Amino acid sequence: MEMKKQQMITQSQKLMIFVLTMALYGLATLFTELIPKLQIGIVEFSVEYFLFIPLTLGILFDPISAALGAATGELVFSEIMLGQFGGLGELEKFITVTIGVYIAGRLVANPKNRKMVGIAAMTGVVVQQAMGMMVDILKVQFAVEDFESVAGLPQSVYATEGFAFLNDVLFSGILFCLLPTLFLVPKLYGKIEPLLGMQPRTEKTAIGRINVKVIIGSLAAFGVAIVSEFMAESGMELIDWEAGWAESKSAIAIAMMAAGALAVIILLVIRKNHNRKEA
Amino acid sequence: MREKLSESIFDKLTMNFLRNQVLKNAYGNDDTVIAGLDPRILILWYLFFGIVPWFSGNVVFLMGCFILVSITTLLARIAGLVLLLFGIGVFSQTGYLFLATLLFGGDASSIVPLLVLTLKIATVSLASITVFSGLDPDRLSNGLMWYGCPERFSFSISYAYRMLPVLMEEFEGVLLSYRLRGNPPDCDTLKGKIRYLIYQVKIIIHAFYPLMLNTAKRSRTTVEALEIKGYRYAASKKEAKKVRLSTLKVSFDDFLFLAISFFWVSLIIFLSGYF
Repeated sequence: MEMKKQQMITQSQKLMIFVLTMALYGLATLFTELIPKLQIGIVEFSVEYFLFIPLTLGILFDPISAALGAATGELVFSEIMLGQFGGLGELEKFITVTIGVYIAGRLVANPKNRKMVGIAAMTGVVVQQAMGMMVDILKVQFAVEDFESVAGLPQSVYATEGFAFLNDVLFSGILFCLLPTLFLVPKLYGKIEPLLGMQPRTEKTAIGRINVKVIIGSLAAFGVAIVSEFMAESGMELIDWEAGWAESKSAIAIAMMAAGALAVIILLVIRKNHNRKEA
Repeated sequence: MREKLSESIFDKLTMNFLRNQVLKNAYGNDDTVIAGLDPRILILWYLFFGIVPWFSGNVVFLMGCFILVSITTLLARIAGLVLLLFGIGVFSQTGYLFLATLLFGGDASSIVPLLVLTLKIATVSLASITVFSGLDPDRLSNGLMWYGCPERFSFSISYAYRMLPVLMEEFEGVLLSYRLRGNPPDCDTLKGKIRYLIYQVKIIIHAFYPLMLNTAKRSRTTVEALEIKGYRYAASKKEAKKVRLSTLKVSFDDFLFLAISFFWVSLIIFLSGYF
């Protein structure tokens, strides 16, 4: 009867949680993308995240499904659908949101314990925002090659990112994560689980506290986010146009141009012939 | 005058407008040149223009890439809202950085590195707008699946585009019913305005409570319907995948598109050697 100890979740219920979080959080991020941001100097007051939605669902249901659903929802609804997909940068956001929600979900053993729910909600936001800030600073350092030599740029980046972090944690963190989560978790507890055909989470059926394995896993995932940025830096030297083959560069470029032009002409001719045959 | 302007802006930003723009973006332009191309080729093309600009610091090369992706964006006839968001996004990433640099004692010399950064960001995002907004969602998810993208992800894309209008309508309905029953505070004084804002935010958060329960029910129905059709079985079987992807076909137009892009890139590499 080992199975009884944990919250019994089938694969399709995991998929249900994934779909639920994805749809709701995706909808919310779509709004935040469109709500105007109030900017006073460099301090920005914005409804940064409706992170309370995945936090609530992560506390009530299987944390990993909710975390992955939230990250996917944000990626699909607000990035891909609005054409804001930014390649490398999105991987980092995906990973930080997943870790933040997952840790918050694992922290809570009993959703009826309001103190624990509050602590978990704040932890989730702080973890997510802190990781986002670190990666943001690194990103600007890599993208601007002579970062150190531009007067005033390093300080301004640290200052704006630090401000953004504090502002996000204190403003959006409390208003849009802590309070709504504290309001929604007790209200939904015991009501939403039967809709997915599950038992509510209790002290006995929780999947265990955060252990070393979770922390190591999170750190490894965060490492992946940073490594993807580091790869960008080392890649700069590989595909640098001012590299050692600079002398013969024009010749190579002319050859490439000729090949490209030839390919265009050949393809046009083939297509014309092909169309004639079909007609 | 100012009142009129803000009124017309708020008029445009209604739920309906939003829904229409998203739908138009998803399904409104499947007769464009870009939408007719093979998704696999376009994703390959995107990989180049989404990654290479990050590694180059040459202004001429970046400018050339930027011109090419601007043309493809025009060809894809992207919805206005998306382009507006793109403009705001680029400015918020580098425009404010420039102002902050000036504040901390930088001078006009910081324009060049920031111009490089702006061009990089603009090129990469326009390339993604071309591919991800120019393509039909079903074709896009098929293309991603062909490259071995997790089935769940390509499912999410098709699901999101179909569910979003329904979800928005439902959210609007819940929000309106809360407003009908509620009693908003006065918003004449500054204090009243703040209280009004808090009231609005509170309503939005409260509205998520019924929405969560409804969506939970709906997602259960969705997953059960998927299971009846053997969704998880099909996701892991090669044969089922093959049948699904058999509609994809590479034509001469695709090669032509690649060849023109290749020609343009080699031209700007050639030119970037001289400047």
